Amino acid sequence: MAPRTPLTLITGPLGAGKTTLLRHVLEVVPRRLAVVMNEFGEIAIDSRVIEGKHVRLAELAGGCVCCTLIGEFAAAVTELLDTADPELIVVETTGLAEPEALVFDVAERLERVRLDGVVAVADADMLARFPELGHTTRLQLEAADLIVLNKRDLVSPETLGAVTARLEALNPHAPVVATERSRVDPELLFGLDRRRPPAPPHAVHAPEFEAWSHAPGGPLDRACFTALADRLEAHGVYRAKGFVRFPEGSALFNYVRGRWDLEPFPDQDTVLVFIGRQGRLDRTGLAAALEACRRP
Amino acid sequence: MALIDRLQRVSDTIWEIPPTAKAGMRVPARIFATERLVREMDQAVYEQITNVATLPGITGYAFCMPDGHSGYGFPIGGVAAMDVEQGGVISPGGIGFDINCGMRLVVTGLTYEEVKPHLRRLVDRLFERIPAGVGSTGFLKLSRQEFRRVVEEGARWCVEHGYGWPEDLELTEEGGCIAGADAGKISERAVDRGFNQIGTLGSGNHYLEVQVARPENVFDAKLAAAFGITLPDQVVVMFHCGSRGFGHQVATDYLQTFLRVMESKYGIRILDRELACAPFDSPEGRDYFAAMKCGINMSYANRQVILHRIREVFQEVFGRPAEALGLRMVYDVAHNTAKLETHLVDGRPRRLLVHRKGATRAFGPGMDGLPARYRETGQPVIIGGSMETGSYLLVGVPQGAQAFYTTAHGSGRTMSRTQARRQWRGEKLQKELEARGIYVRTASWSGLAEEAGAAYKNIDDVVEATELAGLSRRVVRFVPIGNIKG
Repeated sequence: MAPRTPLTLITGPLGAGKTTLLRHVLEVVPRRLAVVMNEFGEIAIDSRVIEGKHVRLAELAGGCVCCTLIGEFAAAVTELLDTADPELIVVETTGLAEPEALVFDVAERLERVRLDGVVAVADADMLARFPELGHTTRLQLEAADLIVLNKRDLVSPETLGAVTARLEALNPHAPVVATERSRVDPELLFGLDRRRPPAPPHAVHAPEFEAWSHAPGGPLDRACFTALADRLEAHGVYRAKGFVRFPEGSALFNYVRGRWDLEPFPDQDTVLVFIGRQGRLDRTGLAAALEACRRP
Repeated sequence: MALIDRLQRVSDTIWEIPPTAKAGMRVPARIFATERLVREMDQAVYEQITNVATLPGITGYAFCMPDGHSGYGFPIGGVAAMDVEQGGVISPGGIGFDINCGMRLVVTGLTYEEVKPHLRRLVDRLFERIPAGVGSTGFLKLSRQEFRRVVEEGARWCVEHGYGWPEDLELTEEGGCIAGADAGKISERAVDRGFNQIGTLGSGNHYLEVQVARPENVFDAKLAAAFGITLPDQVVVMFHCGSRGFGHQVATDYLQTFLRVMESKYGIRILDRELACAPFDSPEGRDYFAAMKCGINMSYANRQVILHRIREVFQEVFGRPAEALGLRMVYDVAHNTAKLETHLVDGRPRRLLVHRKGATRAFGPGMDGLPARYRETGQPVIIGGSMETGSYLLVGVPQGAQAFYTTAHGSGRTMSRTQARRQWRGEKLQKELEARGIYVRTASWSGLAEEAGAAYKNIDDVVEATELAGLSRRVVRFVPIGNIKG
């Protein structure tokens, strides 16, 4: 079976910067993206619009497409895969939506896509101003693999620290990355896809994070590696991606916040990149664990 | 101290959290529920209803109905009356995004015995003729300009264009057209999202059901007869839907507006951003009120066109005109609204903006605003249960004054949609229901699983609590035989 198309969900309250994040992603990610928006008017002005059965598509420069749902989500994603054949799908959910049902759909009911991550965009200024989080906002933040804490420029460093601590307490698994105008390194947002896997990064452009790439020579034992994948959080890993060669064949590996998968991928040597919060990434432990999985 | 520990029992079905429980509360919070229902409520409901109690202008109490559960800002089941002459606010989170989401009940002159042989075909045809599902579009092809007229004129537009009978309007809240709707106050995006959705059920918990009034489920035969339930095993049609993407967009637009002006322009400080609001008597507040009324009218028009389709399908399946089949409306009442009403507070009449979110207006006998034929009886209240368990027709009562004449709206979820999806499979559920005599068609299997009966509170408990609390009284309980799920 062909590797599945990665799908990233973007959630977060109204006005936090979700659309700004989408614009940023379209600008900096050199891959053929399909962006699913509540309303594509904001991005796709003057584009050619194609009315489908379940999605309305607008073609953007560089082969990307922007679309809005006019049918059921699952049917729309299938139609999108068939008509636009994107490398990555990014879905913006409405600020009023509780993301859980969509996460469930993507993770468990859509066979042709892989849930690559749930990114919540939060507004540092708003979080500081309102003492209570709000029911829907809380559900959005709890569902996140990564929290983009936007509008850092509107608050003092002390306030930013306090808001970050509050988010970390609410969702201890999701790293918080502070941004202005939702400018976040896409390496944090996306894993590797099946088409033109880019070279793993040597650095992540966010001071809160560090990246470490490693290429242990020779094939790895599958059982040993999957056991390690289940323990990655303990090694301070937020996201990992790359290829792994097993004695029986090589695979594409994507990991985010405790959720991972391996998909068959032709003929690659093992090379992996691990991304973790600054100072928490356990390179020594990871190197030792990978070494222990090596098979002659 | 946790809010639940501040809960005081006022009676067996009334619970109160005093204003001392949270800084900023202007009034106490009151929850109507049996002890079991109040204990089952999620903790967020207590937080939310006490947050509502801090809003400017709130009068009397912040109420929560027995089917209350947590929602965006306000709990679903929340009721808040704001004194508009005392700086009272209007808040989209207190209305809900599916503006004027509501219930319509239609009787037939047919009995279960007569319908049974045709049930499958009837439900199949209803499913084919009434679009359901997330992005469903209606058969009514409207230009954007015509749509703007529809949202100002509501169900009246539909009847004038042949989609219904004049008496349907009398039997709809506000005569099917609330005054003061202004299409100049809605965005182009809202029009985009709505103009092809008139006559569609939508998704989520929206549905259309064919039901039976069994003689043993008639609690008050005289009232039932006044509402049109006169035959043993009489078949009725009940449906639940709202203003679709249109209402959602209106709410989204104004939430953003309110977030911009609430603090900077009006100095309103709130605890939770989801409670974004503006003074009712402000340009932004009045604009939202006029736009929200477009949502109200859009939903009346939506339900009116669906009723027209139901009549067409019955005519086709039973080979007789809808008039001869007795397809008459009982009532159409919403449970996501805010309306200006006059209520007595401490013996004085006050103009109040009553927010009802997941709560149904339930006017008692003799009140203004009731159709002439229900003036004596009080207002019919339509309560949808889960698709497995049954639904109710209730009536408003004089004691309803204690909560600005409001009662529950449905059963309220006990588990999240995801939990329900993990527990049930839509395909299997459909077969089980069919074995029990309920024929279901759905636009989405996973959506069907979300609506499994056990994912909801027991509707009988909710309705009983409203009766014990003196909010409404039972008239008839209906059991489903056919269901179309959005």
